[in-house]
Amino acid sequence: MAAVAQHRGPGRRRRSPLPYTWQRGYLLASPALLVMLAILIYPLGYSFVMSFFRWDLSGSAPFIGTGNYTDELFGRQFNQALRNQTIFSVVSITIEVVAGMAIAVLVNGKLRGMRLARTLLLVPPMIAPAVVGLNFRWLFNTQYGLVDALLRMFNLPDIPWLNHPTWALVSVIVADVWQNTPLMVLLFLAGLQSLPQEPLEAATVDGATPWQRFWHIVLPLMRPVIMIALMLRIIDTFRTFDVVWLMTQGGPGGATNLLTVYSYLLAFQAVDFGHAAAVSYIALGMSLFVLALLYGVPWLIAKRRAI
Amino acid sequence: MSGTLSRRKFLAASAAVTAGSLAAPWVARADAKEITALLITGGPLYPKYWEKIVQDFTAKTGIKVRYDLLEFTPLTAKVVTLSAARSSQYDVYSTHTAQIDSYFNHFAPLNSYFSDSELADFYPVAVKYLRDPKTGNLAAIPRNMDARVQYYRGDIYQEKGLKPAGTWEELVDVGLKLTGNGHYGLVVPGQGDPAQRTFSDLLWQAGGDWVDQANKPAFNSEAGIKALTFYRDLIQKHKIVPPDAVGYQWNENSTEFSSGTVYATFDWPGAFATLSNPETSRVVGKWSTAPYVRDKEAISCAISHAMALNGQSGRKEPAVEFIKYTVSTDAQRLQFDQFTNFPSSQSLAKEVIAAAKGPQATWLQQLETTIANGKEWPKLAGFSKVCTLMFSAIEQALSDQVSPADSLNQAAKEAEEIMRRAGAYD
Repeated sequence: MAAVAQHRGPGRRRRSPLPYTWQRGYLLASPALLVMLAILIYPLGYSFVMSFFRWDLSGSAPFIGTGNYTDELFGRQFNQALRNQTIFSVVSITIEVVAGMAIAVLVNGKLRGMRLARTLLLVPPMIAPAVVGLNFRWLFNTQYGLVDALLRMFNLPDIPWLNHPTWALVSVIVADVWQNTPLMVLLFLAGLQSLPQEPLEAATVDGATPWQRFWHIVLPLMRPVIMIALMLRIIDTFRTFDVVWLMTQGGPGGATNLLTVYSYLLAFQAVDFGHAAAVSYIALGMSLFVLALLYGVPWLIAKRRAI
Repeated sequence: MSGTLSRRKFLAASAAVTAGSLAAPWVARADAKEITALLITGGPLYPKYWEKIVQDFTAKTGIKVRYDLLEFTPLTAKVVTLSAARSSQYDVYSTHTAQIDSYFNHFAPLNSYFSDSELADFYPVAVKYLRDPKTGNLAAIPRNMDARVQYYRGDIYQEKGLKPAGTWEELVDVGLKLTGNGHYGLVVPGQGDPAQRTFSDLLWQAGGDWVDQANKPAFNSEAGIKALTFYRDLIQKHKIVPPDAVGYQWNENSTEFSSGTVYATFDWPGAFATLSNPETSRVVGKWSTAPYVRDKEAISCAISHAMALNGQSGRKEPAVEFIKYTVSTDAQRLQFDQFTNFPSSQSLAKEVIAAAKGPQATWLQQLETTIANGKEWPKLAGFSKVCTLMFSAIEQALSDQVSPADSLNQAAKEAEEIMRRAGAYD
């Protein structure tokens, strides 16, 4: 074995046309970089350029500057989609983080059946969003759905889950919460299990109640994990499409139109790629802005305190 | 030969694969005796239909056809994407009157490939709305007609001593008598393009139209408001339509009738075959057909599935030969026999009607009357985007978010601006 290694090592080096330099590193990485450039960077750049043109299929595509952006920012349908997106993101992320933390604390305990519970928590995130959308569409069907059937069993009135603008938005939030809360639980559970035990033991000795231990010790120590969870969910909610498309297609009357759904409708039903690209970039800008706030504000506060 | 994979061999193999992939389209394109097509499908019989059409065409002409099949919605999305990319991947596309205006600059004009006498045999309403109104270019050729009639539960109507509705008032009266115990008197779709189609029919029936003489939006006229109010009231006031219909498109609409939950609907020609098939219908032998309802007018849409030639195609001549074959008498007859799709050829339609017997003959005559009186929304610049706006406007009224008048007035204002920007008034 040693002989083989001895033979291969120096022999290879002698035949190599390039020395081991940083240029060689780039050269070897270039095929992967080219693929990335072709399938990721180029379309991103192209669609950004597209957002400054009147790009429908009419043949000519005149440059209109920021026209598509101003049209949308002052447009009724975009503002409805923006309002829906804000409600959807804020409500679903809040529920997912709060419920995720509560369930994580619960399953982190040494109660019976917790191992099974942890395993079952893996199921919702493993299901494709399209399947979740279809299932919830049927669950919330007024005539045939399980949810209204249960309400009828208890002599409660039917709820027009997918036909009423407010209930339709509630329905898609419920589907999103069902699928993504377990992911939060798993993230928080991993965080809880890696916390140092000494501060908690010291607090217990000092007579702190479970709530005081959670609020004053666990939560501050979990802050980095919560930040990562928030970042992942903010990015995700701005990309949500499948569940909403399969449950409501953005309806009724745009009541569940999120920015992604609205962008899709503009591109593939209105055949207006310029406006669709502008909406996509506004959505991207918004999610980056929210993330910058999320990370920037605490950083600024910490910096000011340090001064 | 060594069993190990050296870096040099790996790089050489990667380069060969890359070069092969890049060269493949040109190698494929070199064969002038082969064309490519993106064709519509739907249901289990459609793939076999295309297989037979392609086999027969190849046997007759020696031209091979490589084709892909997609259902209507993904097909539309793919044609949009390929057109935007100016792709020559497919020489021939299945298309439809509904969004044809989006492709006027991407489909090659078919005028020069069809003589006046050939075109005269197609239903005029089909050819009219496949033409670019600005240039007169024929963007596609109709393959079969799409128009709707009323399908109702003959057995239930007889049991209750009812006749199929002929007018809007009768539609409500009959619906009220049939609704109850988990059943509904009527189902109409309430989302997207199907909702716009339904509103469109009611708009024409109420005496209105989409645009006025100057091509300015006119769908918010008194007739338009009456039509949308009637449409909304079927769901929200009279409650003769399932409440979930606000989210229904064509499939859900048809299923409500074929499952036996609902006792009447307005459906396309293909429904005749679907409802007659025990594998797809629980109401086989229990239904009949009647003309579409009317108000001031007896008008509803008459549109068509069609075939188009990709403007980027490098093999236009053989591609046109294939298109011509798909709209030939043989191909249209096969379509009628398999799917009861109504022919776009007037002479063939007359033959088919003459040969039909019993309920099928009645139904075919009802369809032909609908087509003779049929219309389509205008193919003006920007109207595709107006359609998207209308989906939302109609859904908002149907789900009681805003009044029909407010919804249509707002949409009319925005529609005029969209069409002005798109150059409809230049």
